[in-house]
Amino acid sequence: MNLMKKITVGFLSGVLLLTGYSALGGQEMTNLPVGGALAVQSLKPYWHVFIAYAIVLVAVLGWVISMGRRLSALETRLGDSAEHQ
Amino acid sequence: MSVSGLRKGGVTLTALGLIGLVVIYWLSFFWVSTEIRQGIVQRIFYVHVPAAWTTGLAFGIAALTSAMYLWLRDERLDRAAVSAAEGGMVFGAIMLTTGPLWGKIAWGTYWTWEPRLTLTLLLWFIFLGYFMVRSATDNPEKGKRFAAVVAIVGALDIPFIHLSVIWFRSLHPAPVVIKPEGPSLPGDMLTLLLASFAVFTVLFFGLFLLRYALETVRVELDARAREVAA
Repeated sequence: MNLMKKITVGFLSGVLLLTGYSALGGQEMTNLPVGGALAVQSLKPYWHVFIAYAIVLVAVLGWVISMGRRLSALETRLGDSAEHQ
Repeated sequence: MSVSGLRKGGVTLTALGLIGLVVIYWLSFFWVSTEIRQGIVQRIFYVHVPAAWTTGLAFGIAALTSAMYLWLRDERLDRAAVSAAEGGMVFGAIMLTTGPLWGKIAWGTYWTWEPRLTLTLLLWFIFLGYFMVRSATDNPEKGKRFAAVVAIVGALDIPFIHLSVIWFRSLHPAPVVIKPEGPSLPGDMLTLLLASFAVFTVLFFGLFLLRYALETVRVELDARAREVAA
């Protein structure tokens, strides 16, 4: 259940960050001169691709690390219970 | 299969999947052609769509093994269901976060309550409920049975997600691969997409085996604890 809590908190934090960025980004764009706005827009897609690709790696590696830690903790407990028996 | 065998198989497949993912990233940036209308951001397609496929596959396996668990009451089926459901949650989170990043550039918004997005978010939350139901009851056996029903109900949403773009007005494009007249993608894009499907599938099964091994050890430990208590 701990993992599910972490996934949920991570997912909801991501949604909040994206929503906040969207709102702030919209305000910035209206105040920028046209040239600046175009420059921001032209680089934006690259950042979105890099972030999307990074999310895949972070999620997969995060799950691997989480399972490795849970498995080693359980095996330690299993070893302890075998010793007690 | 023994726990060590499951771990070996899981580690091998996961390592292959991660290597494959790096190759997919390289091909996506340096080999495949750029889509003329959307530009660079269309490259999110090569992780977003395979993540969606893997999510459907994982939740489908969770529902199938849950149904078989209700019928046969074999503990291994419940372990497979919970392992697949956890995979579905991870790949579902990938799908639900990479999609809005693409949508912001392509549609001008991170999120809109159109049918496919809404049904997909609903599916993710149904399976979040699956884990909550599992741990909410005092009797673990009862929790497993209730969760199995939730998994089956949740998986009924999957065909609606696929067909929602055909049945309803939607911002999502119509299917470009799975359709009666065959795929309509250019050759290099289709090749990379299929390779990415394969990589995500291998990665999922590797992680699934590791999660199944984890669940097996946990069940064994619980059984020993019960023996000691008795």
